[in-house]
Amino acid sequence: MPLGFLVPLFLVGLAGIVVPIVVHLTRKQRAKVIRFPSLMFLEKVPYTAESRRRIHHWFLLALRALALALLALAFARPFLQDEAAGALAGSGPTEHVVLLDRSYSMAIEDRWATALDAARDAVGGLGPLDRVSLVLFDQSAAAAVRSASGPERIRSALDTVSITDRATRYGPAFKLAQTILEESELPGKSLTVVSDLQRGGWTGEEGIQLPEGTTVSMVVVGDTPPANVSLGDITLGRDRFQGAERVTPRARITRVGGDAELDVQVVLELDGRELQRRSVTLPPAGAVPVDFQPFTLSDRHTQGVVRVVPDGLPAAELLQDNARHFVLSPGRATGVLLLDPPGAGADASLHLRRALEVARGDGYRVDRSTGAVPGADQLAEVQVVILNDRPFPAGSEGERLRDFAAAGGGVVLVAGSRGGWSAETGASLPGTLGAVEDREEGQGGRLGYLNYDHPVFELFRGPRRGDFSVARFFRARSWQVPPHDSVSVLARFDDGSPALAERRVGAGRTLVWASTLDAFWTDLALQPVFVPFVHQLVRHASGRTDVLDAFTAGQILDVSDARAMETAGLGEVAEALAASEDRVALAPSGAGIELPAGAGPHFLELGEQGFYEIRPPGRNDVRPVAVAVNVDPAEGDLAPLDPQEVEASIRSGGGNVPAAGADTERAQELRLEDRERRQSLWRWLLAGAFLLLAAETVLSNRVSRGAGRTRTSAPQGAQG
Amino acid sequence: MTHARARAGAPGAQFLDPKVLARIDNLELLARTVVDGFLNGLHRAPYLGLSMDFAEHRAYVPGDDTRHLDWRLFARTDRHYVKQYEAETNANVMALIDVSASMSYGSDPEGVTKLDYARYLTACLLHFSRGQRDRVGIATFDDDIREYVPCSARNLDRALHVLARAEAGRSGDLYPALLKAAERVGRRGIVIVVSDFYEPVDRAMEALRLLRGRGHDLAVFRIMDPAELALPFDDPTNFEDLETGEQMPVIPKKLKEGYDALVEGHIRELEERCTAERMDHVLLDSSQPLDMALFRYLTIREKKARVR
Repeated sequence: MPLGFLVPLFLVGLAGIVVPIVVHLTRKQRAKVIRFPSLMFLEKVPYTAESRRRIHHWFLLALRALALALLALAFARPFLQDEAAGALAGSGPTEHVVLLDRSYSMAIEDRWATALDAARDAVGGLGPLDRVSLVLFDQSAAAAVRSASGPERIRSALDTVSITDRATRYGPAFKLAQTILEESELPGKSLTVVSDLQRGGWTGEEGIQLPEGTTVSMVVVGDTPPANVSLGDITLGRDRFQGAERVTPRARITRVGGDAELDVQVVLELDGRELQRRSVTLPPAGAVPVDFQPFTLSDRHTQGVVRVVPDGLPAAELLQDNARHFVLSPGRATGVLLLDPPGAGADASLHLRRALEVARGDGYRVDRSTGAVPGADQLAEVQVVILNDRPFPAGSEGERLRDFAAAGGGVVLVAGSRGGWSAETGASLPGTLGAVEDREEGQGGRLGYLNYDHPVFELFRGPRRGDFSVARFFRARSWQVPPHDSVSVLARFDDGSPALAERRVGAGRTLVWASTLDAFWTDLALQPVFVPFVHQLVRHASGRTDVLDAFTAGQILDVSDARAMETAGLGEVAEALAASEDRVALAPSGAGIELPAGAGPHFLELGEQGFYEIRPPGRNDVRPVAVAVNVDPAEGDLAPLDPQEVEASIRSGGGNVPAAGADTERAQELRLEDRERRQSLWRWLLAGAFLLLAAETVLSNRVSRGAGRTRTSAPQGAQG
Repeated sequence: MTHARARAGAPGAQFLDPKVLARIDNLELLARTVVDGFLNGLHRAPYLGLSMDFAEHRAYVPGDDTRHLDWRLFARTDRHYVKQYEAETNANVMALIDVSASMSYGSDPEGVTKLDYARYLTACLLHFSRGQRDRVGIATFDDDIREYVPCSARNLDRALHVLARAEAGRSGDLYPALLKAAERVGRRGIVIVVSDFYEPVDRAMEALRLLRGRGHDLAVFRIMDPAELALPFDDPTNFEDLETGEQMPVIPKKLKEGYDALVEGHIRELEERCTAERMDHVLLDSSQPLDMALFRYLTIREKKARVR
């Protein structure tokens, strides 16, 4: 086995082996001296010198020589150079990072067990100076063990880790690994990725750049993606029938892979009871819609599930994406008070009312009036007041509208020819309206600028999502909107004049439309974008958001944010918490999560697929408020990613190619030094030397005593 | 064996151990204690009355010193007699003490060195001699004479003082030292030589002959430490010569037999050649009491009396 020496100069010390021999042969009599009257009768006996030159105790001499040799070897700092030792030593102390995918796609067949074994193997050959981190990731990443000095903590963590209901995102995991490796001072860096390497989790824009020299090892579990049946998003169409709200679920089942048609059963469950069942034949690599009969929605927080029955599915099936959970409550129509000009006919706001009536979902409850602004109690029943072609009232009416807006309501002023406001009431409205301007020449004016970042126009951001440019405006009010912190212009005509502007008033807002929302001044009402525009305008003015029927696993709900809770359908929970009433959330796994009242922030992490039920503490008798959580359907796409693509992307420019020139030599020296330090053979040699010296001391003492006891008078005379 | 014989004490005599004597700082007190005890223990010995107390009167003849006339006898007999015995029976006793470095050796840390033993021995002998009305003197030497006190009836104190302050430290050489001593000791008498005699026998005899040839009666006391006689060492050791500082690696177990033979032969040869040349040779073990030395000294005095 080849042996290397870090400081071979100390091997010169091996010459010290001859020291005991030389000392033995050359040293004079022992230091003990007897002063004697005269040496006249004593003499040097020739055979005595011969006896000294003869080595009697070869074993003792060997012990001494061997001890000196071991000392010299220890100081030369030896190390083993064979392949095994080299492999063990690697490139010196190494910072290992193991990324373990625990997304729910790892539940297929034995992928998880294989991944755990691979992770254990990855930390199996650590050196004494290595450090290792275990990063568990799904769509987020967390370091379960960070820079531990041994594999024990890793193994303990692997014994307790489990699969989550979340999707795969490689970006956070690689970013965390990059951070750990960059912060490490160890010369070697190693990254091991244990994953099924789904393509869906990789965008290619993660922006990961591992430290130079990092060794990347990809352990892909589940090479062949199995066929999979997944239930995509479901639509819950709502309408009203005979005064009751009906919901019509429609699901879409997607099948990836497969060679033949597959018959499956799809059921609809409400509050734990199967309501409907459908038989569906799935073609290979195809998608089939599944329509259910509408059902009447009567109870709040009705928990529904559309589920593909697992019977008949292949064994290698990802089951988590075969169900979609939702929570529905009877809709709350947005109350709209439409104030037309006094004495105006019913057609004055025909397009506007028709647009609001065709809304699906919660819908709008429109009350038309040509009278004065109602009292505060009546205003409290609506969320939006539309002043259609009538001015913002002054006096007490205007005061009530300002208070209504400040309390969170929305006021939409459609200017028309009579709209406007006085200087007294202008503090609640954006800018100053001027005279009517005609744009009748040519094709009329058009909208030249839309703020697509604003909620009103956000819906129309993408291509083919609505074209406002086709709408022509023949008449509009001139309008000066000076810059103000609370004022923003949401749309402008092609001549630059404002078309739509908003001013925040307290918790609410006022919006002004410079033209009309009918077919007289503009043909906008004849365009496809009109209805959704009106809906978005009124929705935004109301301050309401859509209530989500389900969340995706991994999302976090800010319990202390009333608006977020309203969006989640948990407005009453938010109100209870605001009233200092505690709540308890029960996760699908049965784990209890306290939602304490008081100043936040308090968060509810929705990590598990199913229903999170929220109740007052100790009140199991009340119907719980629920939140549905579904797995990310994107995880159902099991198409694999090319490991080399990932490696090429996350490695830095130099990759793990060894540095050149002096850096190479230095790296080599560092490796040798690290190898020697890791093996630490000198400790054993030094210990052996001390043991030999101790043994030599004991043995030599015994030999001396034995020689003293056996010493007798020898018949040898001397004359000097 | 000679040194074995030297270790044997005289039967019936109980003497103080040298270790006990070492506690007595005053040499005179030490000598008196030893000698008086020795004499009391020999009250039946044939040597009693052998002293030279017998007075002899001789008729006065012209030319005699009138200071020596016995006036009391003249008063009784009305004749002039001269007291002769005092002047003729007293002898000069000169002690030559080897103070070379080798005499500083003492193997027993609680015992005495050879020089100490020589000091006690000499003090006793001089005290004893002074009790016999001898004139006593002393000289210390190594390779030369270091201290010299001529023989005199009044020099016992000086001699004991010299003994008390004698220190061993230099290398010794018997011949030049005894040569100078022989030149200084003019009148014939008893010369006591106390040394360890680390000299070749021939050279030692040449030195002793310097004294013997001048008519002195020589009493040679050879003092040796028990370790010198037995070499009781086991471990291989460096031996350092006290006089030269030379070191030599020695494996005692390898040397002991040869060493014993050498020492035995040296002692025996020296004793035989001393006897052959009418010198008294006494080997003394520094760990043994002084009785042997005193007996041998009395023997010498007896011989001298008979000869006279």
